Amino acid sequence: MSLVGFVKFNNSNIKETVRESLNLIGYSFPGYVQNIVIKPNLCYYWDCTTGQTTDPRFVAKLIELIRDETSSNTDISIVESDASAMLCKYAFRILGYEKLARKYNVKLVNLSGDSYRYTRVTVGKVKFQFMVPETIMNADLKINVPKIKYTMSGIELTCALKNIYGCNPNPKKFKYHRMLTETIVALNKIMKFDLCIVDGNVVSGVKPRKLGLVMASQDNVAIDVAAAEIAGLNPKKIKYIQLAEKENIGIASYIPKGIPINYFKARYPRKDFKRKLMDKAYTFLLLTGLNKKLGL
Amino acid sequence: MKLINLGIIGLGYIGQIHLRHARKLVNARVTAVADISEKALRKAKRSGVKKVFTNYEDTLKDPEIDAVIIALPTHLHLKCVRDAAEAKKHIFLEKPIARNVEEAKEIILVTRKNDVKLMMGYPLRFNQQFIALKRKINDGTLGDIEIAVANYISTGPFFHRADVHTPIPVPEWWFKKELIGGGVLIDLGSHIINLLRWYFGEITDIKSHLGYRFNTDFEDKAVCLATFENRTTAIVNVGWFSQKYQLKIELLGTVDHAMAQHQPTNPMFTAIQMLITGTSQFYQGHKAELQHFVDCLVYNKMPLSTGEDGLKDLKAIEQAYKNQIIQL
Repeated sequence: MSLVGFVKFNNSNIKETVRESLNLIGYSFPGYVQNIVIKPNLCYYWDCTTGQTTDPRFVAKLIELIRDETSSNTDISIVESDASAMLCKYAFRILGYEKLARKYNVKLVNLSGDSYRYTRVTVGKVKFQFMVPETIMNADLKINVPKIKYTMSGIELTCALKNIYGCNPNPKKFKYHRMLTETIVALNKIMKFDLCIVDGNVVSGVKPRKLGLVMASQDNVAIDVAAAEIAGLNPKKIKYIQLAEKENIGIASYIPKGIPINYFKARYPRKDFKRKLMDKAYTFLLLTGLNKKLGL
Repeated sequence: MKLINLGIIGLGYIGQIHLRHARKLVNARVTAVADISEKALRKAKRSGVKKVFTNYEDTLKDPEIDAVIIALPTHLHLKCVRDAAEAKKHIFLEKPIARNVEEAKEIILVTRKNDVKLMMGYPLRFNQQFIALKRKINDGTLGDIEIAVANYISTGPFFHRADVHTPIPVPEWWFKKELIGGGVLIDLGSHIINLLRWYFGEITDIKSHLGYRFNTDFEDKAVCLATFENRTTAIVNVGWFSQKYQLKIELLGTVDHAMAQHQPTNPMFTAIQMLITGTSQFYQGHKAELQHFVDCLVYNKMPLSTGEDGLKDLKAIEQAYKNQIIQL
């Protein structure tokens, strides 16, 4: 089983909080790394206070920690890609990553504009061919810095595995929505991230809330299981977690370290009966196309 | 009774709203629409619009069209208004009138020269809540208004509500100051400044404090302090920074206080309203302003919000940009 570390967020010393989470899982940065990739979750142009996107201040402290533990010359790239409704260059600017890149001398890479190599991958019986960006291929260390949030029905949770969906440089991501489970797993299979540190300070459940969590693991499947439990979801019912385990991306169980998970479970803004009903009504409108006809 | 044939130029966010309401107007019908999006045109055709064009000039060439609703990005206003006026079409123009005062003056000039009506789209003037406030001011039931506080805070163009809507692509012109003319002050501030000018007369002085949370070269927050010719002082707070919508005007008078606000309704309630009436309480002002425009054409009246209003609003905004209290 993989280790997952849970730490309470310390606003006055974020770097130490991250360091503590890594200590809990016994992780130390490799002595010599040249290229490091950090993948935050930049979703649309939503401010980090909504719990939808990774806080640039969190990434800034992670960069400081990496440079403390490796070398001040380590090349660090923050990566994201264009999406159907988001242009990476504006997301970097609006969400504060341009400012961060200038201050810390790190690169911002729009994977949709990066050089790439086609790679084939099979998940179950589904065969995919993806463009794998060179920045990711050439990285010595890949760090996933996701959020914990509810997402569309059928997928339910966004955390570590789903965040790698954003490493697909194809901006027309909606074309994968019909087989999202397999796509998420396929992308994680060809772009395996070495370390995951969850920015769970503000999370997005039925509404944003300050959860004050930093969670770390070297196993993206195990950390998703923990995230699902915190969000009040059954990880066994989240198909991509189960499929990822089958495909040997990680193990769907974990050994918790640090603060007991119940502390965070009790604070997560979960769906109540009314919200579940509203979701069903909205899904009905979406499926029937009535939402557009009614201007909703 | 004369039937006005309308053309709608631009079927983006606000153009779609206008199309929805224009189809329900008395003494008018939507004859043509123009947009570069084939998808938007197909949708308009399905809703019963006879003529659809990918080029707005074709709408202007159509002799059947009496007037056009221009719902284009601000940087395209001047050219489109010039073309429409020269084609002798009356014009309903979305706010802000233009990117700057020079363009606004030219817009007014070209409409005067061609003797066509120009109405600015300011739906708050047609919203029952804000009309009621105007009545109270006129009735004297509030006494002299010493202080007005106006808040117009919303998600803005690139920060749609995270909990409800599927994100929609933001047109790139929204990110370019040279195309939009300014940030939230010109976008939302123009509504408030126009409304307060309607309430209190012309602005004699205005100062601003601007904020840039989203790291763009145009403001996403503005706090303005304005003085009006009737001596009312107004605090105008506008912002694109919040997931929670608020549009509220509070008037503090020597006799009484009053408040009006425009609130989004519950989505289910809105859906029912849309099914029954074709509009919703939230957009009631949008429908009323279009009906007023049509009435002005039918009865040859002067619109309530003219191009000159748009110019005065823009002049006040430019003054606010110049008079920054704290330069960031």
